[in-house]
Amino acid sequence: MPLDTSAYSLALLRVDGRRWNELRRIHAQIRTQAAADGSSYLEMGHTKVMCVVNGPSEPGPRRGATSGGGSGGGQSKNAEVAVNIVIAGFSSVDRKRRGRGDKHILELQSTISQALAASLHTHLFPHSTINISLHVLSQDGSLLAALINAATLACVDAGIPMTDYVAACTAGSTSTYAANDEGADPLLDMNHQEEQELPGLTVATLGDSDRVAVLVCESRVQVSRLEGMLAVGVDGCKQVREILDRVVREKGIKMIQEGTVERGVGLNDMELD
Amino acid sequence: MPREAEPSANEKAFLLKALQDEQIRLDGREFDQYRPLELTFGDEYGVANVSLGKTKILAKASAEVTVPFADRPLDGIFTIATELSPMAAPHFEVNRPTETEVLLSRLLEKTVRRSGALDTESLCLVAGQKCWSVRVDVHVLSHDGNLTDAACFAVVAALRHFRKPDTSMENGVLTVYTPAEREPVPLGWLHSPFCVTWSFFGDEGETALLDADWMEEQVRVASVTISLNRHGEICQIAKLGGVPVEAVALLQCTSVALTKVKEFSTYLDGKLAEDAKRRDKGGFMAELRAENDRIVG
Amino acid sequence: MPITILPPKAFRDQPPRHSLNHDSDDVMSDATSDSEDSDSQPGGVSLDGGATIHPRKRHRSGAGAAASSTFTKRPKTNAAINSIPRSAIVTPGERITTDPQWMRGHGTYLSSASLGEQAITSSLAGIVTRTNKLLSVRPLRARYTPEVGDLVVGRIVEVQAKRWRVDVGSTQLAALPLSAINLPGGILRKRTETDELQIRTFFAEGDLVVAEVQQLFQDGGAVLHTRSLKYGKLRNGVFMAVSGTGGGGGVVRSRRQVWTLESANNGGPIDVILGVNGYVWISKHVEPVVPEEAKGQTGITNLEEVVSATMYSSQNDRIEPETMREIARIRGVVTALVENGLRVDEDMVTKGYNEAVELALVSADGPEDVYLGGERGEQLAAALTAV
Repeated sequence: MPLDTSAYSLALLRVDGRRWNELRRIHAQIRTQAAADGSSYLEMGHTKVMCVVNGPSEPGPRRGATSGGGSGGGQSKNAEVAVNIVIAGFSSVDRKRRGRGDKHILELQSTISQALAASLHTHLFPHSTINISLHVLSQDGSLLAALINAATLACVDAGIPMTDYVAACTAGSTSTYAANDEGADPLLDMNHQEEQELPGLTVATLGDSDRVAVLVCESRVQVSRLEGMLAVGVDGCKQVREILDRVVREKGIKMIQEGTVERGVGLNDMELD
Repeated sequence: MPREAEPSANEKAFLLKALQDEQIRLDGREFDQYRPLELTFGDEYGVANVSLGKTKILAKASAEVTVPFADRPLDGIFTIATELSPMAAPHFEVNRPTETEVLLSRLLEKTVRRSGALDTESLCLVAGQKCWSVRVDVHVLSHDGNLTDAACFAVVAALRHFRKPDTSMENGVLTVYTPAEREPVPLGWLHSPFCVTWSFFGDEGETALLDADWMEEQVRVASVTISLNRHGEICQIAKLGGVPVEAVALLQCTSVALTKVKEFSTYLDGKLAEDAKRRDKGGFMAELRAENDRIVG
Repeated sequence: MPITILPPKAFRDQPPRHSLNHDSDDVMSDATSDSEDSDSQPGGVSLDGGATIHPRKRHRSGAGAAASSTFTKRPKTNAAINSIPRSAIVTPGERITTDPQWMRGHGTYLSSASLGEQAITSSLAGIVTRTNKLLSVRPLRARYTPEVGDLVVGRIVEVQAKRWRVDVGSTQLAALPLSAINLPGGILRKRTETDELQIRTFFAEGDLVVAEVQQLFQDGGAVLHTRSLKYGKLRNGVFMAVSGTGGGGGVVRSRRQVWTLESANNGGPIDVILGVNGYVWISKHVEPVVPEEAKGQTGITNLEEVVSATMYSSQNDRIEPETMREIARIRGVVTALVENGLRVDEDMVTKGYNEAVELALVSADGPEDVYLGGERGEQLAAALTAV
């Protein structure tokens, strides 16, 4: 079903009624799995992802084959970040079964592993492995971004020290590459339909800086559009970071209220000294 | 699995210090300078030999007639196969794709195939029944860093050099002519994408180098591969994790990459023209054509 | 898909101002409480000011456009949710202080703030704690980090030539050297090659041990020892893993980690071992069997000699069904405590157990009912927190 992009210029509304700079609804939870060290569930629109983190822990004598590289192996000075992605058969319209050796999945795994390895303080955990297991329950665009966000949340939940959140989102551009349309607007957070028709990229930034950890563009686009898309993407990442941060804070405050965690020294109390 | 020996801490520190404090690369190149790029074509059509410093890559294109995929009856088949054998470096194993190989083949796939460089519709012979299957085999003969750029250049060169046998359709009969009968025809080619890989060094990735060699690749903290054609269209960008880099720096990288791609494009066009001239002058094809003319006439 | 478009209301040049409120609703997660939405937030910019961080419409004015949004300092986090300030929690990447008088502890790192200043920044989601001039962040939850003197329960995962590797729920496997266990045959003797050859007769893969952390390696790995009668192989009971003292709920370090509980319903005495690492062992209490002839001269060495015979046995003793039931009940209590986010220590387990016995008395199935899941668990937790 081709996307009628001509409609955008009339009302400045996208297929799902959003404006150019609007994210879809992001809903996230942490600590969803009691058995895991860290876990999260994240929805970006209709893209739904679950993440479970186990570790850092030292693999036993049977050192299983780990996918997704990261940094170093079992004996190295840094923890290895091993990522495993399972895309459920029912997650998209065509029930395509992806094998384990699917190169696209391997690439996603490697990307997430390397992106998180750069933020996580892996040097604190020599000889160990951080196992990140991601399950895609439903796909509606921005898959890589959702996976990165879910993995970040789960790592925060697991209490693994990190420099900052790695937050990701997608950005696109109205009108396809063929039309060299100078008036093309950048779009934030693309859904599946938009991803099919329009050029776009996935950006992940570290915290609220402008530093880009992941930049993946898989469609043809004029080089002049890159800047606009990147700027919108980076700004989107900052919004996503705030949302993720809010989820973590609320969980933490709830834990304090329940008495699971004692209250610490508040920042404000401290600065009075 | 034999592991590649990592450079020692001292080696790494030396390289980094030279790069960051003295602005000197170990082999004396400028930061945005490629190693000497050389391209030679084989005697056959579709064989390209690319060397980039000590990195050597052989790409061979071939075509055969097959049945198209059921879901794409009007398209031909185009595949890129990569092979990293122990010949390239001892830590590559046969039949067990390493991460490097998977990422390399994905990059080539995205750069050349998904960007629509090859017109796959022109490979269709009989809708839903017969089509050409074009396959490029990429063999890494020697690995000294920056496989991506070299491999991408080799693939594009091989495909542009390649000639597939001519065919004709008459009354529902498909005829494939041998090179002796009819001059083979080039593939339907739309644009030539090239990869340019930047490597980043330093804690915040503040130093950026083009065309890192193997030693530099082992020390780098992040890399970004940008694929462009000379019309200024991005075909693919891949910064797959690694240390975060300022967004502005990435934009600058892209614009430098564009000038490099234009250089590649001109170089490849020159080489192709040179090769065509050489073949023409060789007279072998001209002789054949004369013979054919006589039979028909 | 054809879209019916109403006559255009918004024009390209119109600033998207009116949509801003709508934006922040849209992007907000479900869990956000309503109090955050008010536009009239006094003082400072709240985190939810989604409107303030929207990108400008087009960034075309050169590279500077992207860079100009770099240094938007994170707004101060002082909005309140139900009386607990948001600043009670720090999250990764949050600056704690730039004051150079503080030293950074666990859970923090130094990042360069503006003007070459170093800021102590949190690397965890947790709470700030302070010991004199040392600032550290205690995570809401993390894996157990061993400390010297901790009593831990662990599982043998690997047997090596002269030591065992023990899973204690930490980031690394702990080591239990052959030289750090009580060897059978009484008197503290030097280990011999024979001992090395029969290392598996002491502990084999999968065995559970209770041990103490003897020392720590530089990289955080722990070395255990079992040189005491309190420590050694675990028998006659059940194992369970809850979260340990890494942070958040679970077992907490307390005065006593091991005690014997006199159970109700003829269950007899039951040992409870709460490993600091969150591994728990609940077993039937077995008095050390001291043969008659040794009774006269109960020197401590003799006792060890006698006991060591059964020390490495892998056979369970006979356990009465009543005891089993009470063990199961205690296990249920611990599970209920963890599920309801309460701390697990001697006091809570003992109180919880008594409460559970009371609950069982009023239950339809009588005192044999040990079920403590779901509503029962909540009921139990409520009773405990009310006290």
